[in-house]
Parts: sequence; structure tokens; C-alpha cells
Amino acid sequence: MAPKSRDDLLQGTLDMLVLKALALEPMHGWGITERIEQWSDRVLQVGQGTLYPALYRLERQGHVSSAWRTTENNRRARYYALTAAGRRHFARECDYWRRLSHAINLVLETTIA
Amino acid sequence: MARPETPGGRRPAGPDDPVDHDARLREEIAFHIDQQAERLVRQGVPPDRARREARLRFGGVEGVREATRDEQRAAWLFDFGRDLRFGARVLRRSPVFAVLAVLTLGLGIGASTALFSVVDGVLLRGLPYPDAGRLVRLYQVNDDGTTGGPPRQSSRVSEPNVLDWRRLTHGFSGIAEMAQWGDMPIAGGEQPVMARRTVVSREFFDVMGVAPADGRVFRPEELQEGAAPTAIVSHAFRNRAFAGGPVVGKTIRIGQTAYTVVGEMPPGFDYPGETGVWTPREIQALGQQSRTAHNFQAVARVADGVSVRQAQAELSAVSRQMREEYGSTTWMVDAAAIPLLEQLTATARPALNLLFGAAIVLFLIACTNVTNLLLARAAARRHEQALQLAVGASRWRLVRQVVAETLVLTAAGGLVGVLVAAGAVRALLSLDPGSVPRLADVALNWPAVGFAIGASLAAALGIGLVAALRGRDADLRAVLADAQRSSASSPSRERARQVLVVAQVALTLVLLAGTALLGRSFLSLLGVEPGYRTAGATVLDLVRPRGTGAEEMQRQWQFQTALMDRLAAMPGVEGVGLASGFPLGGADYSTGRYYEMTRVDEFQSYADIARLGDRALDRAGQAGFRVVGGDYFRVMGIPVLEGRTFEAGDLPDAPHVAVVSEAFARDRWPDRDPIGRFIQFGNMDGDPRGFRVVGVVGDVRELSPETPPGPLFYVDYRQRPGHASGFSIVVAGPESARQPQVMQRIVRDLDAGLPVTIHSIEDAFDAALSGRRFNLLLIMVFGLAALALATLGTYGLITYLVAQRTREIGIRMALGAGTASVMRLILGAGLRLAAVGTVIGVAASLGLSRLLDGLLFAVSATDPAAYAIVIVATIGAVLAASLVPALRATRIPPTESLR
Repeated sequence: MAPKSRDDLLQGTLDMLVLKALALEPMHGWGITERIEQWSDRVLQVGQGTLYPALYRLERQGHVSSAWRTTENNRRARYYALTAAGRRHFARECDYWRRLSHAINLVLETTIA
Repeated sequence: MARPETPGGRRPAGPDDPVDHDARLREEIAFHIDQQAERLVRQGVPPDRARREARLRFGGVEGVREATRDEQRAAWLFDFGRDLRFGARVLRRSPVFAVLAVLTLGLGIGASTALFSVVDGVLLRGLPYPDAGRLVRLYQVNDDGTTGGPPRQSSRVSEPNVLDWRRLTHGFSGIAEMAQWGDMPIAGGEQPVMARRTVVSREFFDVMGVAPADGRVFRPEELQEGAAPTAIVSHAFRNRAFAGGPVVGKTIRIGQTAYTVVGEMPPGFDYPGETGVWTPREIQALGQQSRTAHNFQAVARVADGVSVRQAQAELSAVSRQMREEYGSTTWMVDAAAIPLLEQLTATARPALNLLFGAAIVLFLIACTNVTNLLLARAAARRHEQALQLAVGASRWRLVRQVVAETLVLTAAGGLVGVLVAAGAVRALLSLDPGSVPRLADVALNWPAVGFAIGASLAAALGIGLVAALRGRDADLRAVLADAQRSSASSPSRERARQVLVVAQVALTLVLLAGTALLGRSFLSLLGVEPGYRTAGATVLDLVRPRGTGAEEMQRQWQFQTALMDRLAAMPGVEGVGLASGFPLGGADYSTGRYYEMTRVDEFQSYADIARLGDRALDRAGQAGFRVVGGDYFRVMGIPVLEGRTFEAGDLPDAPHVAVVSEAFARDRWPDRDPIGRFIQFGNMDGDPRGFRVVGVVGDVRELSPETPPGPLFYVDYRQRPGHASGFSIVVAGPESARQPQVMQRIVRDLDAGLPVTIHSIEDAFDAALSGRRFNLLLIMVFGLAALALATLGTYGLITYLVAQRTREIGIRMALGAGTASVMRLILGAGLRLAAVGTVIGVAASLGLSRLLDGLLFAVSATDPAAYAIVIVATIGAVLAASLVPALRATRIPPTESLR
């Protein structure tokens, strides 16, 4: 099998960011990309090669639902919305992430006497 | 190179498609790119450049669609369906490969499915009796006090022992006695027919758990000494004798006795051994008090809640206790309960296991061959795959595609396999050697089809995974960079192909070793001197039931003498003889215990022998008791070694004389002259008169050419006609003198109602070898098919290797390498594979030689000569397969390397 790409490693993280982006209001794929880029001061560039698979996966897992809606510019777009299960999942993931990053920070900030 | 075909090809988005994720995704992607372009325009990029830029930023659309699709299970299945269709399309583009692979797989799957049908029908499928797993045959284990050999298992049991088993054991719900009295003419129907008659005790039908389909079982009042004789008949007997008409209430006649038919068994029930008529044991006296008269067999049903093992343990304990109680008045030292199915199939089991194993090996060889073909194709399709990767197909996708392609192949192979198996099963049934029980019941049924499907799936999985994983190229860039050259190869794939060829050679060698060993066994069997004539004679088998008493006996031997005289009077006949136990399939092979006497009337009864106590054992021995007459020894070509044979004067009232076989003389009188010695053998026919030995004749292998000759004791048909009503008459002479119609007429003239079977002695001898010939033929077919496949596989690989090294060889030749050194290079590659495969194959064969137990004759399972032949044949085949590509290599023009 091919070695796991960096994208693969960050997969769990991407799911969390997508859920976060949808926590405010339903949004289409492009909007999610923009939102994450904005919030991260353009540090995080979401690859389309992973965004759409992630959305389809989250939908299959029941964390998001989707429907066609019309944008402000009168174009048809697929809007994704967080489900109740997705909200709970997001809370769990955030909690886990905070504990993990806290732990990693502790390790990194340890000064060696 | 073929145009690459994109597996995830365009597909019209049907509005009614419930899972049309593809159309949805395309729209989403289009929207995404538009938005990106709009943003770029807002940032000041010209519109046309913005669109291009947006599309570029999005990246490989195909890859996104691929990855997204992988996230959907339903779509995954849908895609696999598309992979299958794609696989079928690809295979259609290379029909030679596809046909070759499908036929190879069909052969392997077909052979193993056919043999599975046989194994399933003969060995595995339960017997057609209720709860048949509880049915057992009871065997006595008898000591061999006379020869000092180890105790032997015998299916024949004595009645007092059976009565004690019934009384002392609790693990059986019933123990039935049976005595198979063989084929006899039975009258009363539309015409007299030959049918097998079995005498059974009252427990029999309960034990078997089968009731008459019409009529009833025997009533208690019919099961008493002297009761009016009754009979139950088989369905097949009714059809033959009564043309399918009603039989219950009719009267049938066996010899002089009339039996009223009270029941007819359901179709298919003919236990034991094609019985046509069952008659009750109890109408005859129950007074068989001798524990050494072994006139019955016993079948029993293990009681509910008792395991066969427990019943066996109890029987064994009880029997050993009986031995302590009865001492040497019984020969039984122990007893065994053997499951009926096991007992019925014991003789066929080793051969069938071996043949099934051979079929599986052939199946494996077929699989390796197809794997090899697929790997070769994978090499040819590398660029196609590389292009697919470049346009965004995932590696997993390519693996899936190969698996799908394999699945198409094995599915077709399985279909062909079922057809092959259907033909093979029919061929097997027509070859029926008569040595395999229940073979007639074998059919290509659902379990067999299930086996074929299982084999196909296993093949698909095995072949597909190996081909997909081994065939995958780790480095895409290398492939593309290399795209112009034909010599591209991946070392790991080449190694995989070599491993496969080595495996093939090894598996083939295993099959060939089995073939060679069985073949040599067969040849040594043909070389065996059976001790009697095997050609140039005709055998008439007759059964003429008779009553008891001196008058009846006289009528019988006078009839036999008259018949022999009439046959001998046919012009050209060289001699006529008679035997009760004719070699190779005669009716009566009874064996018993005799005692040597110091004078002709020393022992008149068992009491006289018992008085000697343990000293009687020194006088005792085991031998076969054979009734012969006429010119038997001369006609059969059995040499007279000493003394004389029977003469006209050896009439019933003259002193009784006997002729013994060489083995008998050697056993009994290793260093004394047998002539003039006295033997008491009256337990065989109930006549207490002693014998004087007057001659010694050569040994014969009477059961089959492979059974070593045992000690035989011959008596004259007039003095001691024996119990059996069946006898055979041999007529020797040129074929023109032995016209079956003429002989049939002679028999009919003397006794109009007497059925007679006429066959040549060649046929009888042939039939004795047919089981072995059947096994040999099958394994030979497997061996040769394996050799052909392995040769093909090697040829394919070497050809491929030569193609890989075309440049190298061209350069070598340009630099002055001779034809010989190029040949050496290529043949050396083949030889290395052959050598490794041979070593592994020989080791595996030696490890598996246990499978040949009981199937070899006069050849050891490690016979060096057989192995030498096989090794030479295998290496020779591999070299031959390498020769053509090697010769082709020497003709490579040096300029080839410059292209």
C-alpha cells in the first residue's frame, strides 16, 4: 500500500474543522474552505482532494446532512448542516483535541533543569 | 500498446438513479471552481485566466471523485460491478489469454469437483438408514494360537458369543446376526432369478431402523424352530422376479423349501450387500453351541445416550471377560464395534483420499499457472496502469481492478469446471471398477456445485491478491521514464513468477511420484505368478441348492460329474475341473482350524480333541477348505509337487483323502514328508471322518494377485461336497472349443431351471486388477495434466525472461558470445528452477508417502527407481520448455540491442 500522506494523518483534524465551520450555520463546500482559511489566517489551506471525501464521509456517518439550496447569487449549491449527532461528535472531538494539545504543550514546554 | 481505458469512465447521470452521487459531486465541484474563479476575478485576475487558475488550484478532479466515491459503500459496490464489466471487456480484448486461463481453471476446478463428488457420495454422505451414525458392525478379535501371529480382526462371529454380547452389554439397543448365503436361484415369480439371500435374526429390521414398505416384518410365531418358512424381499427383487407386480402373500422357492413372502422393503434397502431375500434365522435350531463356529456377522445399533466410543469400550471389556471365562474354547480375545459407514468404505478410502489429494494438487497447479499468466499480463499493462495512475486513479483502485478481472476469470473457470466435472463424473461411473462401494450413488449434486463455487472463490482470492500485490509497481516515475523500453521489469515480480514456477514443478513432481509408484505397483502385479492359469479357459458359475443327507449329496455330485463329462465331450476341449472356491471371485473362501492326528480315527469328535487340553494347540493350524473335482489341478495349471491328486476311486465310501498346498505343507511339516499324514477338518462340513494326505500342489493367490498365497486343503467333491451350494466349472481348450451357447445348452439339458453365468478366465483375472487400473488411470491423467500445465508455465516464464533480456543477449552476441553460451544462459535459468522445484517436490512426496499406504504392491513408497524416473521426466520437461525460447534467443540479431 502507498504510504499514508500528510492528508491522511490530519484526517481526524480536518473532520473537526469542518464540523466547527458548520457549527455556526449550514454552508456549501466552497464556503467551508473559505471559512477555515479565514479563521486560521490563511495558515490552513483545505485541499479539495480531502474536503469533499470528508464531507461525504461525515454525511455517511450521520454527522452532517445536506440539501440543495440557492445562494445569495441565485446559484444552486449543496449546503451541509450539522446534525444533533454531529454536534455531540464535535464536542467530543474538541474535548479530546484540547486534552491532547494541552498534553503536547506540557511536554514541549518542559524545561530541562 | 493498447489504448488505456479509464475504469471510472463517464456514465450518463440518470435522473432516476437513487444513488447518483457522481452527478451531485460534479455539480458541487463545478460550483466550487466557479466560486474560486469569482474570488480571483475580485482580486483582479482576468476572467479567462481566473477560470484556468481556479481549475488548477482544485487539482485532479478525477482523484477527488475517486476518493469521494470510496467514502460511499453503496457506490463502492456499484463500482465493483463496473470493475467486473471492465474486467470482462479487458478479457475480451485478449481472447487467447482468457480462453487459456479459463480452460486451465476449468480443468483444475472440474477435476477436484468430480473427485469431491465421489468422495462425498462414497465416504462422507450418510447411509440411507435412520440415525445411521449409531449403526456399527461387531468384529471379533481372534487370537492366532496356531501360528503365534498377532490377533486378527474378523467380521465373522460365533452365535454363542453374540448371545453373550446381548446378555452382558447395555450400550446397544439391539444386536442382530446375519449370514449372507450368497447368490442362489429363487423360483416362484415369473421366472427363476439369481438373488442374494441373507439369513437374519429377529433384531435385524429394528436395528437397521427400516420397516417394510408393503406387508410387515416377521411375527413372533414365525420366529420359532420349525415354523412355516417366511421371507421378506427387496424392492429390486420384486421388480426382477415379479416384474413389479405385487409380491406380498406370494410363495417363493429356494432349493426344496417354499417361503411365504410377508413383506417388501422400500426401494434402495438391500443391506447387507445387495440382499434380495431375507429369511429368519430362528426357524432353524438355535443349538449352535460351538464358540469356534463362526457362521454369522453382527450388526448393532448403539443405544440412545451412549456414544459409539462408550459402546465400543463396553463391548471390548465384556469380550475380554468372556475370554477369561471360556478360555481357549473361544478364539476371541477382544471385540470391536466399527461404524457401519467406516466398515463399508474401508477398502475404497485410501485410494479415494489419494485421488482427491491429487485433484487438489492439480487445482493448485492450475491456479499458479493462471497467476503466472496474470503476472505476465501485468507486466505488459504497466504503462496502461501508469497512465491510469497519472490521471488520478488510486492504487487501491488498480488492485480492485485486477481482483475483479480475476473474479471474471475464475467465475468462467468455475462454470467450465462444473461442466468438466459433470463429464468426468459420468466417465468415472462408466469406468466403475466394482471396487468402490456406493459409486453408483455418486452424482454431481448441490454440495459438489457448492464445492466448485468455493474453489472458484478461493482461486479468485488467491490469484487476485498475488497478482494485484505483486503486479503493482512501487515506482510510477520509473515506469514512465522507462516507457520507451521493452525491457522494463520489476525484480519483485520476476521473483514472484519464479517462485510460482518452482511451486508448479514441485507440485507436479508430487503427482508424478504418486503415478510412478502406482504404475510400478501395477507392473509388478502383472509380473506376479498367480500360480494358476489366467488365460485360455472358460468359467461357468452355478448355484444348485441341495438338501442334506447322503442321498442328496450323491445326487449333487452325480449331477456335477455328468455335467463335467458332457462338457469334456465337446470337441477340442482339453480338460474340465470343478471347484467350490474358485480363484478370483468364487463363492466360498471358508477358512477353519484343522488338527493333525496320529491315526485316521484318532479324533472322532470335539470331546477327543478337548481331552488333549492345551496340547491340542500344537496339533492345530489354520487353512482354507476347498472342494475340487475332475481335472481341476491340471486344467488350472496348478503343479503337482508330490504324491497324487484325486482319482476315480476316491468315492464316498473309500478312505477320505486330501491334497494340500505347498504353504500348508510348509506350515505344518516344515521338515517332514506330508504324504500319508492324517488331518481332522470335520468342523468345515460336519463330517467326522479323518483325511489322509496323498499329495502336495503348488500355491495359488486365490483372492487376487496381490494377496499372498495362504495354506489350502483340497478335498474331493464326491467324498466331501461341503456346505456351499455354489460351484464353478472350468473348461480349458482353444477358444473355438468353448462356445458359451453350447455350454449353456448342455447345462439346460441336464437341469432346465438352473441359471448359469459364463465368463472367460481372462475377464475374471482382469476384474481382479480393475480397481488398481482405475486408480492408476486417474492419477495418471492428473499427473500428465499437471506435467502439461507445468511445462506451459515454465515455457511462459522462460519466454518472458528471454524477452526481458533481449538487449542484454544482443549485446553479448555483438561482443562475440557464442550460441552455446547464450543457450547455457537460458537453459541454466530453466534448470535452476527445475532443480529447486524438484528438491522441494521430492521432499513433499516423501512426506506425503503415507497417503499411499495400502495402495502399493511390491514397491516401497520411497522406491529410488520410481523417483529417478520422475525426476528425469520433470527436469526433462522443464528443459524442453526452456529449449524453444533458448533457441529463439540465439537468433537475436545483435542490432536488436541498438534500437
